[in-house]
Amino acid sequence: MKIIKLLILSFFALGMIINSAFAGGKLVIASNASDAAPRQAMEDIVAKFQAANPDIEVVLNTTEHEAFKTAIRTILAADKGPDVATWFAGNRMAGFVADGLFADVSDVWASEGWGNSMSSTMPSVTFNGKQYAVPFSYYQWGVYYRKDIYDANGISIPKTYDEFLDNCKKLKANGIASVAIGTKYLWTAAGWFDYINLRTNGLDYHIDLMLGKTKYTDEGVVNTFKNWARAIDAGCFMDDHQNYSWQEAQAPLINGEAASYLIGNFIVANLPEETQEQLDFYQFPPIDPNMELGEDAPTEIIFMPANAQNVENGKKFMAFYAQPENLTAMNNVLGQLSPHSGSAAPSDRFQKAGAEMLSKSKTAQFFDRDTTPEMAKAAMQLMVDFMLEPESMMEILEEIEEERSRIFGG
Amino acid sequence: MFPVPIEKATKTNRVIYYSSVALVLLLWLIPLMIITLAAFKTADQLNAGGRGFVLPDPFTLTAFKRTLTNEPFMASILNSFMVVIPVTVISISLATMAGYALSKFRFRGMIIIFAIFVGGNFIPYQVLMIPVLRLTQDIGIWNTKYAIILFHGAFQAGFCVFFMRNFISQIPNELLESARVDGATEFEIFYKIVLPLVRPAMAALAVLIFSFVWNDFFWSLILSPISPSGMLAPAGLATIIKGRFYNEYNVMAVGSILVALPPVVLFFLLQKQFISGLTMGATKG
Repeated sequence: MKIIKLLILSFFALGMIINSAFAGGKLVIASNASDAAPRQAMEDIVAKFQAANPDIEVVLNTTEHEAFKTAIRTILAADKGPDVATWFAGNRMAGFVADGLFADVSDVWASEGWGNSMSSTMPSVTFNGKQYAVPFSYYQWGVYYRKDIYDANGISIPKTYDEFLDNCKKLKANGIASVAIGTKYLWTAAGWFDYINLRTNGLDYHIDLMLGKTKYTDEGVVNTFKNWARAIDAGCFMDDHQNYSWQEAQAPLINGEAASYLIGNFIVANLPEETQEQLDFYQFPPIDPNMELGEDAPTEIIFMPANAQNVENGKKFMAFYAQPENLTAMNNVLGQLSPHSGSAAPSDRFQKAGAEMLSKSKTAQFFDRDTTPEMAKAAMQLMVDFMLEPESMMEILEEIEEERSRIFGG
Repeated sequence: MFPVPIEKATKTNRVIYYSSVALVLLLWLIPLMIITLAAFKTADQLNAGGRGFVLPDPFTLTAFKRTLTNEPFMASILNSFMVVIPVTVISISLATMAGYALSKFRFRGMIIIFAIFVGGNFIPYQVLMIPVLRLTQDIGIWNTKYAIILFHGAFQAGFCVFFMRNFISQIPNELLESARVDGATEFEIFYKIVLPLVRPAMAALAVLIFSFVWNDFFWSLILSPISPSGMLAPAGLATIIKGRFYNEYNVMAVGSILVALPPVVLFFLLQKQFISGLTMGATKG
């Protein structure tokens, strides 16, 4: 048996390439940028790094982004990990940090002065006062609305939530849904929960809730759901939203049957040109005027696993990657925003609006990134149930709370 | 009760028969028709709600252009061919030889060996996921095409051996004996007598194995890298063409059609042999 194994081994060893030695050692990068354009952008940056550091042997391993979400566990648990890898900020990395799987890179933050240049995303990678990653990209969420429909119905950008609800009623009277939403895959509903909760209770309360420290039957959450119920009662949401994916729910927006969509900036790129021209963006209006306006801004990071083999080279690459011009290049391809204040301002008007808004806000990631996947799955289903049956609010909250206490305890 | 040819049935029965065939066929083809329509639509039309039985407006070949120029996706189709063809060759050639030995020679352990081949078919393959993954990692072929080729080659052999053994056992022994009397070596008997006779069965198997392995998503996901360079076509369809947030349904439709084509083409090429191979193999079990 052993001989057979050896035979097969040596047979396939023939096909392997034997690398010559590099004086500066090795650098292994695990990337999830698998779509064609981002992959090219990543390869360009790696090539630039290689040119600047010819003595380092750089290896870039790209894994398909959905598969990467499972592969990350193998990467982190292996004896020898890559030196740099991509991931997501916030609670999606918090568990790994708590388990000691991410290396502390506070020293790179200090030496590169990122505390100033990347202050808006700094909290999302800071745990117990130390930084465990470098953000390289994020994008805004907000209300994308049709100017022409707003004008035709005599309504303007709402300054408060009450105005927002009034707009809903006016549009509804004219047979137009104020808000397009497709909740078939649940997460779009969580966007609404995030924003109403952020506006009702503030960012700190929201984060505690996401971390399982607050009960879903708490008065604050009840108020959030009551505010949400007001929007449902005002007829804001389009009918039958549970039957559509987020993408299918674009149709009413394009056809003029719905006036706005609370969604991430990724919606813009695939709308028809005529719709894009009519489209504009505003920040979700305040509910409690005393609350700071927290935002959802899903952030992508690069980090060094605790099992990295070439720590120095890894840190060198992180510092290189986070140079403003590299982040600009990457984010131009992704259609997202660079978290570095030194990056060139985006030319796209939606990105410009987003960058301006986020530079002044503290950010959460998004419901399904801020809380655990298990919790998110259960809660998002119940949120859609709530949107269909707002009158059973308390039972639904109790059910979510049951899940929370099962998952987080306490 | 034996089936009576439909031509001999009463007129009412024939009408019922033909109309229900047409109805089932139509139902069966509805998704295919929708996909084909979508392939000729613009993304804007699909996004604006122009799905289902709506004619393309405007009619466009953009989706075809975008799919055919999508290098990683086209590479994944090529990858699939480079895996599926060796697998088909390996499993069928091994199975023909094994089937011949198991049906025409008596030797110790024959039943056991045959039982192992047949028994392999009854193991739910999900159970094998982790052992096979570890095995390929241990011998250092995980993440390469060899892992999928060897695994499928071995695993499909079970069904193929079962199929070929039953088929070869129908060849009259007298045929082989007379060849032996005429002085043919055992290899010549296999090559000159058995092989030509089992060709229909091999063609049928080739179609089956080709489409099994071509459509396999599970093992390509586990054994081959989902890294863009090594992906197979079904994984390519699910990951290259499908976006992170936004799906270009027209491009996905074209991709689905392209991925579905090779087994269909092969089936039509080998259709004659396929049908006769299936029925001949079935008469004696």
